Amino acid sequence: MVMQESIYIATPDHVTLEFELAGPGSRFSAYVLDFIFNVLLIVIIGLVLYASGAVVSVRSLLGAAKGGSWGASWILALLVLIVFLINWGYYVLFEGLNKGSTPGKKRVGIRVIRQDGLPIGLREAALRNLVRAADMLPPPSYILGGLVMHFDPQGRRLGDMVAGTCVIVENFDLAAQGASGAAWASRVEQGRSREAVTLPRGAISPQQIGLIERYLARRHQLSEERRAQLAWQIAEPLLPLLGQDHDSAARRADRGAYCESLLLQVIELTQSKTPNITMAEKAPPAASLF
Amino acid sequence: MQSAEEKFAQWTGFYRRAQAILRAGRRGLKKLNGAEITRLIDDYQALTADLARARSLGAARETVDQLNRIAVTGHNLLYGQIRLRESTAAARGFASFASAVRRHAWAVTLSALMFFGSAVVSFVAVQLHPSLAYDLLADEFLDFDPASPDNLHSIPSLARPVVSSLIISNNIQVTLLAFGFGLTAGIGTTVLLIFNGIHLGSVAGWMSLHGKDRALWGWIMPHGATELLAICLAGAAGYMLASAIIVPGRLRRATALKRVGAQALTIELGCMVMLVIAGVIEGFVSPSAIDYPTRIGVLLASIALWALYFLGAGRNRGARPAEPPGDSLVS
Repeated sequence: MVMQESIYIATPDHVTLEFELAGPGSRFSAYVLDFIFNVLLIVIIGLVLYASGAVVSVRSLLGAAKGGSWGASWILALLVLIVFLINWGYYVLFEGLNKGSTPGKKRVGIRVIRQDGLPIGLREAALRNLVRAADMLPPPSYILGGLVMHFDPQGRRLGDMVAGTCVIVENFDLAAQGASGAAWASRVEQGRSREAVTLPRGAISPQQIGLIERYLARRHQLSEERRAQLAWQIAEPLLPLLGQDHDSAARRADRGAYCESLLLQVIELTQSKTPNITMAEKAPPAASLF
Repeated sequence: MQSAEEKFAQWTGFYRRAQAILRAGRRGLKKLNGAEITRLIDDYQALTADLARARSLGAARETVDQLNRIAVTGHNLLYGQIRLRESTAAARGFASFASAVRRHAWAVTLSALMFFGSAVVSFVAVQLHPSLAYDLLADEFLDFDPASPDNLHSIPSLARPVVSSLIISNNIQVTLLAFGFGLTAGIGTTVLLIFNGIHLGSVAGWMSLHGKDRALWGWIMPHGATELLAICLAGAAGYMLASAIIVPGRLRRATALKRVGAQALTIELGCMVMLVIAGVIEGFVSPSAIDYPTRIGVLLASIALWALYFLGAGRNRGARPAEPPGDSLVS
């Protein structure tokens, strides 16, 4: 089964929100980061307590000839418990107290939520992380958890199922969108997208419109290079329909940006009730539209 | 009717404010005054209305996506403060552990059968074929003499805090594995219980063959009832998860797991408390110089207390126990 891209959750105020699910890749990078933070935390606390323990034992050795360093003994006992607590409690405490976010998840831009969309509490965090040993089988490979994630449409590991949670993507930077930002805002009142557009030179299928829309929706998250490359790949087959010359378009220095503007025009065409014919002006009188 | 620019300014303004408040952490919303909160909620409602309209009009995917993302951020901010009662109810109260155990007596029975069953079988096997012990036991147990002053039986008092915390963390780790491995349809839990049962039984068998059984039991008795019972209960928590995978009934497996998960967690957390108690006894009382009858007394007292708790606590609903819940039971 293929993992869904997102889940839809109806909120109490009767709006359906779409949450983009986090894939195995971003979850793994968050795991690696958290693993590093976890080890660092243990090392730092260990060093601090070791240092203080050493001080106590030296003092008590100096004070009492019988070598009764009870302080060192208790501090060592405390260290054992703290290391154990960090080991098992790192995820429980961070996720439970920080709305499903750990330092690693925060860096990657993902978060754990309950399946009703609400942030998780300590109970969910404890459940999904205390059964982690099963997901890690055979340790530390995560093969069992990985397989379960692969076959679950929501990409949940076993711990997520027990706790009723899933992991979502949450990185969204309005600032990165610059001046073109407002363009999308003007299109709220316009409908009719995803319908076929008939131009004098031929029709653009709903599938192609869907592809263009997905590209436009995601383009701000792509690297510049990839963005230009995808724009060209999507626009290339449409060039004749739009009355553009293939070779001259291919040679343009701003090919990616140019293609993107063409794709935006296509979407605007889908939304205007009367197809805009300016793009087709150069077209010779068509013998037949079909 | 607002223009597109005004709408855009309203949405991005809301988004930026929501981001700032979220970045300020848990206390972010509490710093706002009434007017600011009203404005935040009004903006959120306008935004979600716009989102719903854009969707139903079939607006471009990019537009819907952008609005949706802002709405998700707003949702996170405004609903993030909600603490549903449901999320704390399962772990509430001193008696919830006992009643969860009573409700899943079948799992406790199964777990006890696996653990004590394999212990008894291996005890008898070692009695009948002492050479088996060489296969089952590590060298240090073959030479182990519970009565000798060099070993655990007489931990130097200075080392007792460390030994106690090592025992506690090791035992809790075992119960966490028994609990989590329930998700392997109970196979991992069973392996763990049988493995530990065989170890217990063959050590006991070997010691009694060599006439050291009185010293061994003297060592085990003060903490034994609490510790072994906790391991059985953790196995039961694992079998509860397994039952959701093997016999989910009419539910989907993920749903069945979610239903049984909260109860299993309550039992697992209870086990942790029991193991802290057992670890303190094992680190400080068992190695101390108390005599044999006192050890039997501690054993009987702990059995009586646990029986009283598991069979009695929370039986009569309505009557609240005076004792507040233990720390680790609070979720």
